[in-house]
Amino acid sequence: MTMTEPRDGATAPTATEPLLHVADLHTEFRREQGEPLRAVDGVSFDIAPGRALAIVGESGSGKSVTMRTVLRLLPRTARTTAGTARFQGRDLLTLSARDMRRVRGRDIGMVFQNAMEAMNPTLTLERQLTEHLLWHGICGKAEAKKRAVQALADVGIPEPERRIRVYPFQLSGGMRQRAMIAMAMITQPALLIADEPTTAVDVTVQRQILDLLAGLKERGTGIIMITHDLGVARYFCDDAVVMYAGRVVERAPTRDLLDTPRHPYTRGLLGSSVEVGGRDRPLAPIPGSPPDLARRPVGCAFHPRCAEAQLPRCREDQELIEISTTRAAACWRAGDDDD
Amino acid sequence: MGLLRYLGSRAGRLALSLIAVSIITFGLLQLAPGNFADIQRVTSGATSIAGTGTESMLAETQARYGEGTPVVEQYLTFMQGVVTWDMGPSYRYAGRAVEDIIESAFPVSATLAVLAVLLALLIAIPAGVYAALRQNSKSDHTTMFLVTLGHALPNYLIAAFLIIVFTAYLGWFPSSGWSTLDHVVLPVVALSLGPAAVLARYVRSSMLETLREEYVTAALAKGGPYRTVILRHALRNSLIPLVTVVGPLLAALMTGTVFVEALFRIPGLGYYAATAAASRDMPLLMGTVLFFALIIMVMNLLVDLTYGFLDPRIRAEGGWGRSRPRKVSTQPA
Repeated sequence: MTMTEPRDGATAPTATEPLLHVADLHTEFRREQGEPLRAVDGVSFDIAPGRALAIVGESGSGKSVTMRTVLRLLPRTARTTAGTARFQGRDLLTLSARDMRRVRGRDIGMVFQNAMEAMNPTLTLERQLTEHLLWHGICGKAEAKKRAVQALADVGIPEPERRIRVYPFQLSGGMRQRAMIAMAMITQPALLIADEPTTAVDVTVQRQILDLLAGLKERGTGIIMITHDLGVARYFCDDAVVMYAGRVVERAPTRDLLDTPRHPYTRGLLGSSVEVGGRDRPLAPIPGSPPDLARRPVGCAFHPRCAEAQLPRCREDQELIEISTTRAAACWRAGDDDD
Repeated sequence: MGLLRYLGSRAGRLALSLIAVSIITFGLLQLAPGNFADIQRVTSGATSIAGTGTESMLAETQARYGEGTPVVEQYLTFMQGVVTWDMGPSYRYAGRAVEDIIESAFPVSATLAVLAVLLALLIAIPAGVYAALRQNSKSDHTTMFLVTLGHALPNYLIAAFLIIVFTAYLGWFPSSGWSTLDHVVLPVVALSLGPAAVLARYVRSSMLETLREEYVTAALAKGGPYRTVILRHALRNSLIPLVTVVGPLLAALMTGTVFVEALFRIPGLGYYAATAAASRDMPLLMGTVLFFALIIMVMNLLVDLTYGFLDPRIRAEGGWGRSRPRKVSTQPA
């Protein structure tokens, strides 16, 4: 919570009412033959205004599909079969297409992994920065242009008046990524979803991007960051959700998660992370590879790769176990080593 | 590179290519068996050229090129005619100069070509987009089947079919001639269906590719209305590569469409070129071939310019489309 956040209005979000409350989300992908793939299988999480939530996991764990489910931007082969995504008091999954469109880009902004791919190569920055201001009727064309120049200046792009007329390919990689963030924040959305925003950029640019996002967070924007980089999560996010094979396997404040991971998979991720593990600890990559969703292991999906697996027990389905008010882990021994 | 300098260098290369084409064509025609007088004699059943009306013409040409002059000299004389736009009389069409024939026939072929390509685009773009948006559905398959039908049938067959239905049976349109607007309809339809099929397949696959682009999802994530995103972000970009197909297609149609022009008795370039070749009408043949080469080259230049105009990335490279992969025309003869 920050000073700039509205606290007096009836619609002001409070600690008890999260900005986005996702519960029991299920999304599956149709296949040519066989059962549909359950890409998102009962995911739940909350995010409050002015907080940053990391969604961590290997590729294919369902991080991006979860966020695209919330924004209802799934490919045609995907279907959301159950769950709610309550945003500012309304369930996004049952909104009309038109109301959903009004939420996208205006109330929820999205930052993509690679600005080169996420920006239209044949339209100028001005067009791409202003079009959603016009779509949502936020302001007129002249005002939109002024805001676009300001937005570019805000993300630290020099000569914004000139740069607004260029095409994405005429910017450096770092500038392009910052321009995309400017594009997402120009409507001042209450929630920003950033899908691996720092993966495709240099480390120096990485820091700039994170500082930019931190500025937004301070002004009360909720940020969900999809990442596989635990270092980025630790640096930036208050809370973290770890996903594996379409399910949440651990949920905790980021600091606790990294200091005392409760799920063996989280421990495995930490052990294989160069930055977080540190020099004094040998790298210990998790053996094996993430499961093929078509052949999901019975019970805990992680048990075939788990060093601590005990067989009959781990073949049983494993729900998230609440360890404390802020923590939960989907391992039957997660409560045991509580000290 | 500035646009003017680019145009200058392209014009220079174009001239060199034309000279090469003229040398090759002239050489090949020297090697071709038979000459105009022989062909006339054979086709008219006469045993000598006397009385076929070709004597005076032969005399005129002999005077123009000089009897028995070396081939190189003949070539130079012809090229001088090309440059001064005075290529002398045609053998086959007595009394008409080659440049007159081209001047009168080209607008006819060009009109046909432009209208046919426009109609083809009018069919292909909606059909391709419709099919792409419903990929692998029944409507996709049906649309592409209908479109492919247009490709599978040769244009002279379509022309014959159109004449049977709309002239002989319904009597809506005339079957031959070239004077009123009525005359345009059937040949344009006959010419456009094949190209429409090629273009529709192209639009569909290009659109499918573009729809998978992240920037389309990104535009939707900004709250863009579906239709706006499809038209402004997806369609626009998926049509850019289409230019590379439309250019050569237009050139191919402009240089004449022998069968369709013959079936509808349209005095277009293709018809003249074909008769010139059949009757070894050397001046007309050389004239038309060089003119075709010019049209194709100019069309390629226009494609490159348009490409640079539509795609800022290419324009910025200063190449005005020189670096793009060139698509080969798939126009059937």
